[in-house]
Amino acid sequence: MALQTAEEIAEQMEESEDILEHDVQVSPAEEMPGDGPVEEESEQLFLPWDRFSAWLHCICVVGFDLELGQAVEVIYPHHSKLTEKEKTSICYLSFPDSNSGCLGDTQFCFRFRQASNIQPSLGCFLDRCDRDAPVCLKRDQGHFYGYVYFRQVRDKSLKRGYFQKSLVLISKLPYVTFFHSLLKLLAPEYFEKQEPCLEAACNDIDRWPTPTPGKILNLPIMGVVMKLRIPTCYDKPGTSQLVQSTPGDSLVSIVLPTIHEVDLFRCFYPVFFHIQMLWELVLLGESLVVMAPSPSDSSDTVLALVSCLSPLRYCSDFRPYFTIHDSEFKEYTTRTQAPPSVILGVTNPFFAKTLQHWPHIIRIGDMKQTGEVAKQMKVKKLKNLKTLDSKPGVYSAYKPFLNKDEDIIKQLQKGVQQKRPSAAQNAILRRYFLELTQSFIIPLERYVASLMPLQKTISPWKSPPQLRPFLQEEFMKTLEKAGPQLTSRLKGDWIGLYRQFLKSPNFDGWFRNRRKEMMQKLEALHLEALCEEDLQLRIQKHTEVETVDLVLKLKDKLTKAENEQLPVRAGTLTKLQTHIESIILSLPEDLQGILHKPATL
Amino acid sequence: MAIIRELKVCLLGDTGVGKSSIVCRFVQDHFDHNISPTIGASFLTKTVPCGNELHKFLIWDTAGQERFHSLAPMYYRGSAAAVIVYDITKLDSFQTLKKWVKELKEHGPENIVVAIAGNKNDLGDIREVPMKEAKDFAESIAAIFIETSARNAVNVEELFQKISRQIPPLENPEVDSNESFKLTRQAAPSSRRCC
Repeated sequence: MALQTAEEIAEQMEESEDILEHDVQVSPAEEMPGDGPVEEESEQLFLPWDRFSAWLHCICVVGFDLELGQAVEVIYPHHSKLTEKEKTSICYLSFPDSNSGCLGDTQFCFRFRQASNIQPSLGCFLDRCDRDAPVCLKRDQGHFYGYVYFRQVRDKSLKRGYFQKSLVLISKLPYVTFFHSLLKLLAPEYFEKQEPCLEAACNDIDRWPTPTPGKILNLPIMGVVMKLRIPTCYDKPGTSQLVQSTPGDSLVSIVLPTIHEVDLFRCFYPVFFHIQMLWELVLLGESLVVMAPSPSDSSDTVLALVSCLSPLRYCSDFRPYFTIHDSEFKEYTTRTQAPPSVILGVTNPFFAKTLQHWPHIIRIGDMKQTGEVAKQMKVKKLKNLKTLDSKPGVYSAYKPFLNKDEDIIKQLQKGVQQKRPSAAQNAILRRYFLELTQSFIIPLERYVASLMPLQKTISPWKSPPQLRPFLQEEFMKTLEKAGPQLTSRLKGDWIGLYRQFLKSPNFDGWFRNRRKEMMQKLEALHLEALCEEDLQLRIQKHTEVETVDLVLKLKDKLTKAENEQLPVRAGTLTKLQTHIESIILSLPEDLQGILHKPATL
Repeated sequence: MAIIRELKVCLLGDTGVGKSSIVCRFVQDHFDHNISPTIGASFLTKTVPCGNELHKFLIWDTAGQERFHSLAPMYYRGSAAAVIVYDITKLDSFQTLKKWVKELKEHGPENIVVAIAGNKNDLGDIREVPMKEAKDFAESIAAIFIETSARNAVNVEELFQKISRQIPPLENPEVDSNESFKLTRQAAPSSRRCC
């Protein structure tokens, strides 16, 4: 059950090839001018750096100055805005914080709060991109991601004896795998060739198509074309649509099968006996800390934890790499309150003490020495955790609600013994989490859908009907007949799990989003009903004042529908516009002038 | 159905010789008198039929300015062909071309097809590089040679057609020889009639 059948995979591959073929099948005669990066989008809409900022906020180079310590040496493009606070965060978060022997090249990622809210000039365009993206791939409101490529090599010519530098991409997009691949191309060239390289790269990026979900994007960078597809919220979960059809030359083009998925199996390998419990902890928004020997281990593990809920979005704060210099350090580590609902990834041994009171601690050993790890079966008592040198494992007093699924553990173990490729192990694990999350969420989806008022209650001349409220007990009752037992064979206290979940930020975030979507749907249905009415007939029965009032209301609705991109049937808005025009024309001329004005202004 | 083959092609040469103009003429059939110097490299694509195949040229039009010189390897790495452009009215640009030939020979891909394009041949009255000299040089290194005018749309299509013909087809060793040769010291240059 867990793994896709061969047929399914073959089917997917076919699909993906179709897409690829379709994309590149352009007969020479039809070849568009600028067949290159620009395609379709009307170019005049974009100012210089608009396209760049659709992908990245900026690129920073962080170095080590003997007198100043870590410092941002270069920000590219030069006009990018970062507050001093943000710069300080970037400085500390771009370097490994413990004296871990990160010799050579290391990649990791961090996330920090945005200090000020700057709206990019193409804001509404980005909203449209975001609308079609799955929840976990939407632009991060209020936070920036930092994707780091850190190089540390011995260099006797330098006073410090080491060359230490990070190239950091700052973005609101959570496309982890994509940005890491980009950095792999960019950073080594930059360290060798310096500024002209950044200039060229930024120039390349500024001609990329905007990050639109669902399209195959060709992104030329540094002499290579990256090909990828940003998933949409309409994709069937668990399917990937882009695969390399023929092995190509990586110096010419690179196909990215995913832009955001981390290798779950690799990340969870040190603690894989506990994956199901970890899923519960993340689902319930429990305070979790990952203590790892390096920022790449900590960030990979935190990202894996967050993504194991997919397609559900993890709504609390999470920090793939968190340091003692972080501006939220005090807020998150205080002992005067209960630990916050966050997931932190740390490497500094200091945290072993600071976060001793946290209820759940995941201790990851050196990922390279994986031999003995798989033996650690038992969840450990928290008091046994003294320092970062404690043994790898999960330290928690948590009692899972669901019974342990032995099958998945056995399946993975068998895979380890048989030396099954990591990609296959990852696929098994991803499928497992997906099924678990879906089993959990389907009853909620079903109940929430039932809160929608009946179509017949929508009247064009009354405001749209309200959604019925979410009643916990009413929902719990639905579980008897339509609970997760329909799709999952896992036994245990599902009811308890739901009760706990309903109190969590993840439920809150999920429900808000659903509510918003449903209210928009109601607005849209209402608008459609209104358009079907004979408005001329109606205004004949009403006074002039009432007619003017109607025009203003309709105009309001039209603007709202356009701004929020309500999911109306095609043609509805044009119809509404025609209605408005014809009502205005039926009014006396002086009023016509006044009512037409706002539209032409 | 025809196979689409992606072919990476880079344009090299001195600043101002008309690399971007050649690409612009080829891809968009357009000429702009005032284009700004390229930063890093521009990227454009164009697909042309060649026998049973479709050649999708992934064109990296590199910056001629000296400060971007060190980036060149990123663009010729993995390239199936390199177009080295000089300006027939500037002798210096022909000297730069020779340096590019040398660099490609030393560091470029082994089987790269090299084409030499003498651009601005609409300005014959102020010519500084004799056609014969350039042609002889091209022959000596077994490169394609052609004089072009991006402005008057002369020989631009032909330049890329010649390159297409030089690219050995996939899985078809049966070939007859053609007018130009590869840069490498390898055995008989082979190509196949097409288009």
